[in-house]
Amino acid sequence: MGTELEWISRSVPRIGALERLRGMPIFGADIQLEDCLVLRVFRSHRPHAKIMELDVEEARKLRGVEGVFTARDIPGKNLMGLITKDQPLLAQDRVRFVGDPVALVAARDEESAQRGLEAIRVRYQELPSIFSPEEALAEGAVAIHDKGNLLHRRVVRKGDAASAMERAAVVVERTYRTPHIEHTYLEPDAGVGYREWDGTLVILASTQNPHYDQKEVAGLLGLQEEKVRVIQAATGGGFGSKLDLTVQGFIGLALYHLGRPVRLVFTREEAYLATPKRHPLTIWMRTGADSKGKLLALQARIVCDTGAYSSYGVAVATRAAIHATGPYEVENVEVESLAVYTNNPIAGAMRGFGVPQVAFAHESQMDLLAQELGMDPLQIRLRNAFQEGSSTATGQKLGSSVGILECLEALEPHYREAVSSWKGSGGSRYLRRGVGLGAMWYGIGNTGVQNPSTARVELDDDGRVTLYIGAADMGQGSTTVLAQIAAQVLGMQPERLRLVVADTARTSNAGASSASRQTYISGNAVLEACAKLAQVLLTEASDMLRAPKHTLLLKGEGVADSTDPQRSVSFMELAQRARKKNIPLSWQGYFDPETTPLDPETGQGIPYATYAFACQMAQVEVDVLTGRVRVRRVAAAHDVGRAVHPEAVKGQILGGVAMGLGFALMEEFVPGSTVSMKDYHIPTAADMPEVVPIIVEAPEPTGPFGAKGVGEPALIPTAPAILNAIADALGERIYQLPANLERVLEACIRAGHFPSMEVK
Amino acid sequence: MRGTFAYHRPSDLDGALELMDELGGQALPLAGGTDLMVEMREGKYRGYHLVDISRLPELKLLELQDGEIHLGAGLTFTEISGSELLRLHAPALVQAASQIGSLQIRNVATLGGNVVHCSPCADSVPGLLVQDARAILRSLGGTREVPLQEILVGPYKSGIQAGELLTCFCLRSASGMWGAFHKLARRSSLAIARLSLAVLTRQGEEGLSDVRIALGSGTPVPRRMVEAEEFLLGKAPREKDLWEAGRVLASKMVEVTGKRPSTVYKEKAAQGLLVQAMLPLVRHGN
Repeated sequence: MGTELEWISRSVPRIGALERLRGMPIFGADIQLEDCLVLRVFRSHRPHAKIMELDVEEARKLRGVEGVFTARDIPGKNLMGLITKDQPLLAQDRVRFVGDPVALVAARDEESAQRGLEAIRVRYQELPSIFSPEEALAEGAVAIHDKGNLLHRRVVRKGDAASAMERAAVVVERTYRTPHIEHTYLEPDAGVGYREWDGTLVILASTQNPHYDQKEVAGLLGLQEEKVRVIQAATGGGFGSKLDLTVQGFIGLALYHLGRPVRLVFTREEAYLATPKRHPLTIWMRTGADSKGKLLALQARIVCDTGAYSSYGVAVATRAAIHATGPYEVENVEVESLAVYTNNPIAGAMRGFGVPQVAFAHESQMDLLAQELGMDPLQIRLRNAFQEGSSTATGQKLGSSVGILECLEALEPHYREAVSSWKGSGGSRYLRRGVGLGAMWYGIGNTGVQNPSTARVELDDDGRVTLYIGAADMGQGSTTVLAQIAAQVLGMQPERLRLVVADTARTSNAGASSASRQTYISGNAVLEACAKLAQVLLTEASDMLRAPKHTLLLKGEGVADSTDPQRSVSFMELAQRARKKNIPLSWQGYFDPETTPLDPETGQGIPYATYAFACQMAQVEVDVLTGRVRVRRVAAAHDVGRAVHPEAVKGQILGGVAMGLGFALMEEFVPGSTVSMKDYHIPTAADMPEVVPIIVEAPEPTGPFGAKGVGEPALIPTAPAILNAIADALGERIYQLPANLERVLEACIRAGHFPSMEVK
Repeated sequence: MRGTFAYHRPSDLDGALELMDELGGQALPLAGGTDLMVEMREGKYRGYHLVDISRLPELKLLELQDGEIHLGAGLTFTEISGSELLRLHAPALVQAASQIGSLQIRNVATLGGNVVHCSPCADSVPGLLVQDARAILRSLGGTREVPLQEILVGPYKSGIQAGELLTCFCLRSASGMWGAFHKLARRSSLAIARLSLAVLTRQGEEGLSDVRIALGSGTPVPRRMVEAEEFLLGKAPREKDLWEAGRVLASKMVEVTGKRPSTVYKEKAAQGLLVQAMLPLVRHGN
């Protein structure tokens, strides 16, 4: 193995950048297949109704229409779902949200497909519609699913929160609300498909999870998994929304029946209408501390609106409960978290799985406690932050790689400077300045379940190394990072690796690109595969060079004797020699983080093998005449264990701050009203503050070269930091996101900064 | 989805007017297309005739004539915001032009298009209203010259008749006047105004003379806020005068528009916006 870290902590050119810069047709919508049919989905306009009659005969007869499919045409099991299978591909007698797919049209061109859609007739019988979890849980509410409207209840209980609360010197109790959020990835969902000569259905699609797609499509079609091949097309962002099936099932169904190439490309409007959103959460939280600011107890009740189908609802409710304390040690915890069905859009995974929402609550609570106690917000965080040996709400003892204190300390000079000099040096009566902190912790990988990854590496007779990875790269850069890890172990340049990525026929399952897990989990799988190959190469080289293994170095696609670098042998020679001896040159790596399932009653257990930590500081200016907020600067300290690719980590942080700023100030998806980017505002470059990314490395012993993850953590602290900064500027707090013009101006008025005159 | 449509590109204004006459209600002038394309994509105007006027030199007029600015309807917002002449003679309009949409939109969107779309939140309209702009409408039948406010019949409803083309605006020069345009939106760029305000006024020893204030996005169509103008006329405004003027403006806005869910915010923000826009006019010591 290479002794020094040549390819780790190094910002090598991003793999795939060139194809994108050249505008090559790598995205689903750009892939051209000959004689390709166009698919369009007929969707429900009703939020909740029984389908009394569905007539597609007229549509089928139209010229140019090659097929119209309904639930009846689904040969396998018409049910899908990442955790709970409760969602039909095409509605089975009932629709549960506006946008629920009812029928699929395949046609020769867009116009014919449109005419096909227009010729479909449905007769509905309205059912009562439920648009909030409160209504859904009310007695006598209509059941959206047979098992009732409560999808999941997760309790996390440790110690005795109620009695500890009585001992507390200060207790703050508030309710926080967050809205539906639409991911607004750049590339609307798209894919194409064709049938292979042997009957295999090949689907190229924008996805975060090709192996799940394969399994799900095979299940829908009643086919063996190997009869469905999913290849990830270049994917222009996902943020969790492309974990569910979007176009894949429809493409598979049309291929099954028609056998001809098909394509399905969502418009932005369709992506908005049909794909999952971030869960709206209502969080009631009560936090108690002693007179020195030490947290004693936390109680919370969290209600997640999971919409019409479950998607990742269970994971979101669970993660929200586990992370409700924030990165602080609290002895007595009592959290109940519910995921509830409604007739709203499906809520699923979105960057952070409920943690961005609870972070808004726990970080507001920290500032409120500090205020009650006359403490500095940084001080109260330092006093309570996790350390090695701390026990979490689920009773997990944290080992090493607990970098939250280091993050807080890294921010301290920025924070002191902002508070002592920036805040007082500018602004005016009508332009108030504020500084706020937001901290977070985030468990890497899926919660309390096995979520292994696999990878394979192979050395050919010609000395070329091929890395097979199942992990989908949707822009976050996993392919580059995994190639760097392989390159490091094998002592070769990453660009010399041949890469096969996210193709179910050629790569093995790496699990979803979600939960910030690929660097840590797939990184370890790659590491293991490459280490096995390296051992073979060293053993062979040791024979050939007649030198002990420990003096040998993998370098430049060969093995050299470190005591005499002139003496070396190439990968090609080693491969040929090994082949003659029948020693395998293809090695599989496997890694599954050590977790234990959570106790169903108390939520105690080890949900994650490791956690990322972060704290951000936001400096804002609030225009009290109009309610407009400008974020001027964000300093963001993130403990990532080890930054394999520092520029990619910084990129994640910058993107996370942008997304967090949108969550804080402007983003709000209103079901039934929000149509597209024209009425859904994400920040533009003009809204971005100066961002100072600070990489903190508290190495994780079980991580590849110490790495953990940063994808979701990047976003989580931003909104809390901004909201705390607004509260600091105004002396008045906002409890509902987004802190838009209306809510901020209202807070300005409440705080007495707006000398309002009543209009008669 | 896009429907079928016919496309015409006349080479000069006369040709365009002939087409407009011939096609009548089926004609859709296409300038920057930043509104039209969005609507066509939504499926509107299937079977219509697009008359591309984006390259007509006659619509690119920009000159000062006898104390009046003549401003071609085909000028883009990039052209307007970059004009030295307009900076001197139409300061509020120039500020408005630089805040519309994004740079990409400003490079193609035109002044005339922004006006004829008659959106309540058209950013250029308040800036034109404070200059007592008159619109020149040409048709084969002749030329009409009407005050801008008369074209603004209602939300998304203009008073331009079939066969007519809006070719030009005539503005009273605002040379020597103090001007401002403030826009409130949900983000810094590429955003539709929640409220906008254009102000032109002249500051002298005797206080403000000739106060002109126009509000956008607060009423069904942008309009001059005469009551607030009159309140400030002759005053060397102190901050509390601005608040009072803001109150007058907001109360007129509510009177015109009625109470809506958005009024809770807008009646306050309108006051704040006026104070913010005119605060530089408050002399120290007042």
